[in-house]
Amino acid sequence: MDSLQLGSYTFSSRLILGTGKFSSAAVMLEAVRASGAQLITVALRRFNREQAEDDLFGPLSAMKGITLMPNTSGASTAAEAVRAAHIARELSGSAFIKVEIHPNPQHLMPDPIETFEAARILAKEGFLVMPYITADPVLAKRLEEVGCASVMPLGSAIGSGQGVATAAMIEIIIRESGIPVIVDAGLRSPSEAAHAMEMGCGAVLVNSAVAVAGNPPEMAEAFAEAVSAGRKAFRAGLMQKSGSAIATSPLTTFLGTY
Amino acid sequence: MITIELNGQQQPLPADSAVSDLLAIIGSDGKSVAVVVNEQIIRPDNRSAHLLHEGDKVELLIFAGGG
Repeated sequence: MDSLQLGSYTFSSRLILGTGKFSSAAVMLEAVRASGAQLITVALRRFNREQAEDDLFGPLSAMKGITLMPNTSGASTAAEAVRAAHIARELSGSAFIKVEIHPNPQHLMPDPIETFEAARILAKEGFLVMPYITADPVLAKRLEEVGCASVMPLGSAIGSGQGVATAAMIEIIIRESGIPVIVDAGLRSPSEAAHAMEMGCGAVLVNSAVAVAGNPPEMAEAFAEAVSAGRKAFRAGLMQKSGSAIATSPLTTFLGTY
Repeated sequence: MITIELNGQQQPLPADSAVSDLLAIIGSDGKSVAVVVNEQIIRPDNRSAHLLHEGDKVELLIFAGGG
């Protein structure tokens, strides 16, 4: 069985789905179901009694086979992220934490120094740390060394739909990594997810591409199929590229021989 | 009466209210809410014992959509 191992957790699905930006909780839940995803990201937010329907804990925890992975979005320092992780664990009951520290709302690029520090502390405390990072092989290795469960380099900026613009760096990270590499952010189409999986990613994390699609549940299913196909292709072993043509049919002449 | 700061806003409360009383007043069953009082997490089994005091900073947090 080809499964994704994160800490003591085993997942058969290699698609991780985010729950932001959906038009309604009902559509989001339908997309989660259609995606087959088993690891689902959520964010912490202040309780507001006028918006009680925004509370996703109830409906998501009622779904079978779902593990929640809260993120630390909103944190701009390691200390804030650690605090958010402690609070999130109270609610989720899961050890997963997506460390996400982006101080600048203009580009949402993760702060590597604060992210490293938060990841180091949280891994030591026993969290399954999933850090959202720039596609930096050196940083990825350092995060592995302090005990992260995976590294999640960005394909391109959050919500940008620019695909795996960092493919060359992600290939290096995968080559060097002893933990799963998960492309997080920037994916727009299932073919990009398939490409990431063909490269050897352990999983992909998708949110906007599904949430703002014309038909989110159908797009969720399309991503699931693409992730599955990409993984299968990686395992099967892609052919080598060649600089010149190599014939697939015999080139011996017979049409002009009479 | 006392006044606490609830998610950044002033909230009057009867004196000797516990965290569980506050949750009842605002209509939360408390199951899907994390409670932080003066930066200290108050676990569910401690909410009826933990009394709130004048000026306490209370944060109630839930899971919402996020990627």
